[in-house]
Amino acid sequence: MSNSKLMSLTEAVSLIKDGCSLFTGGWTVVRKPMGIVYELIRQGRKNLALVSNPGGPEIDLLIGAGCVNLTECNYIGHEVFGHPYCFRRKVEEGPEVTGYYHDDWTVQTGSLRILAGAMGLPFMPTFSLKGSDLINPDLDPVKDLRGKDPRLPKSKVAFIKDPFWEGHEVTLVPALRPDVCVIHAQEVGDKGTVRIKGGAFLDYYAAMASKLTIVTAERVVSEESLQNTPEANTIPGYLVHGIVELPYGAHPTAVSGFYDNDPYWFRSYTVASKNEINFQAWLREWVFELGNFENYLNKVGLKRLMSLRANPVLGYNPNIRRRLDKLEEEM
Amino acid sequence: MATLFKQKDEAQIVPSGSYSQLEMMVVAASRLLKNGEVALVGTGLPLVGAFLAKHTHAPEIIIVMEAVAFDSKPFSLPFCVADPRGVYQTTWAPTSVEIMGQLLQSGRVDTGFLGGAQVDKYGNLNSTCIGPYLSPKKRFEGSGGACDIAVMAQKTIITMAHEKQRFVNQVDYITSPGWKCRDHRTKEMVDRSKLGMWGGPFAVVSTMGIMKFDEDSHEMYVDYYFSELGVTPQLIRENSGFDIDVSRAKAYAPPAVNELEVLRTIVDPEGIFMKY
Repeated sequence: MSNSKLMSLTEAVSLIKDGCSLFTGGWTVVRKPMGIVYELIRQGRKNLALVSNPGGPEIDLLIGAGCVNLTECNYIGHEVFGHPYCFRRKVEEGPEVTGYYHDDWTVQTGSLRILAGAMGLPFMPTFSLKGSDLINPDLDPVKDLRGKDPRLPKSKVAFIKDPFWEGHEVTLVPALRPDVCVIHAQEVGDKGTVRIKGGAFLDYYAAMASKLTIVTAERVVSEESLQNTPEANTIPGYLVHGIVELPYGAHPTAVSGFYDNDPYWFRSYTVASKNEINFQAWLREWVFELGNFENYLNKVGLKRLMSLRANPVLGYNPNIRRRLDKLEEEM
Repeated sequence: MATLFKQKDEAQIVPSGSYSQLEMMVVAASRLLKNGEVALVGTGLPLVGAFLAKHTHAPEIIIVMEAVAFDSKPFSLPFCVADPRGVYQTTWAPTSVEIMGQLLQSGRVDTGFLGGAQVDKYGNLNSTCIGPYLSPKKRFEGSGGACDIAVMAQKTIITMAHEKQRFVNQVDYITSPGWKCRDHRTKEMVDRSKLGMWGGPFAVVSTMGIMKFDEDSHEMYVDYYFSELGVTPQLIRENSGFDIDVSRAKAYAPPAVNELEVLRTIVDPEGIFMKY
């Protein structure tokens, strides 16, 4: 069928071009589009601007692999599993050395920025940020790029006196307008209707704000099966351009109802990413040499993948160990 | 001695040496949360303290997590604010647009519960970097929702290990503003009320005691010290990077048996955050 949105992972990732701005769905270590991320690295994508709010291992990986020259995020990290060493290393080395720039935001303003993008508005007002160094004009890390890099707003914030009510000063934050949004969901219909369980985070707004949306999913289902309870659907298929069926496509992050975080992955990754040489070796072993996602899952192994399976009622796996220093101990 | 927590039975007080400074910190922070209030909590020890409160003196507390969960009542400790563990059996699972852009911004969050890498005498918090922001010595994950919560909650409670390099005269970067914070126009430090901000830090709970802020000067002072752990007001002075007033310091009640039991067996049995 020529107009089908169903495609291979390789085809879907080829829609994401060098230098584009990219929103990765999910939240830190939950429902991140990792299959897409591994393929972006394999295809050698360069100069991406990442605008996930907040980012998790997918951002740290892409930064470490040299695919990124700009991030506008409120957080980049692995939560309790350890620090984002690639992000940390590149920021500490500085943009003069790495060519990579990072601008800091907050959960609320990151959310309002993508909401503004979804609404087709240029900006959104907020009471947040006041009193902090995030709006200290001397500390704008991308000041030199503003007005030159079309992916960045011309200034970080602006201020306006409320013209309607009490007249207080309100801060304006610019819209986020990603070129591409990539989401991993539990289910997607064969025409693109997305059903997300256990929290959609900003994925709906990001799809609405982006020019192109690609969805990988645990399973592709018939659109008819999603029509009985439309209120349970998250994103209309109209907004979705590419669909990839990709079971375990968010591994090692958690997908409610399907699988939990993989603590073994986080242990191996956070140990390796502490220095550049070990991180490059990790990339070779876990991304480049495997060649595709199927080989990646084979390398993780059926036993480990099955051990992460979620209890369908709880949404998570009540039996996994979550302390990385005690993974081998009995519960 | 004034206590913030009514002991059911004095004989139930646990002997010193059978609990850690970290446990005392979490117990003390949880006691500051009130039954029935709306508490917006960050990942880590704030989450542990809030769930301890819910399982002990504040069963009606409404725990909110910025990513997705309103009135979270998990069976198992979430390891981040988006964890399916926090969503299970919650009554409302919106997005951060609703929680941070609406619930928090419209003034409905009573208490924000935060951690960080540095705090100064005005309660400014840094969770962004050590050293100059544009060329940091050590870079951290970033604000997340901490800045938003510090600006817009009715009050905040901060938890932090009590060390000289954490309790500093001036934070390297104001991620989350306290009582006297940055005016973006002049770049000077001004009272938060001058910037039209409400709320502010209510207490800093450390591994050594509970600090509050003077009503007039808005500077941090020692309200309680963890005497049962061998902490003295002098020890707090020695471990603070600025001159801290200890003239109002009182000895603090140790954890009750049930608090430690709930913490160790129900809230964080694996020691994910408590690192037993």
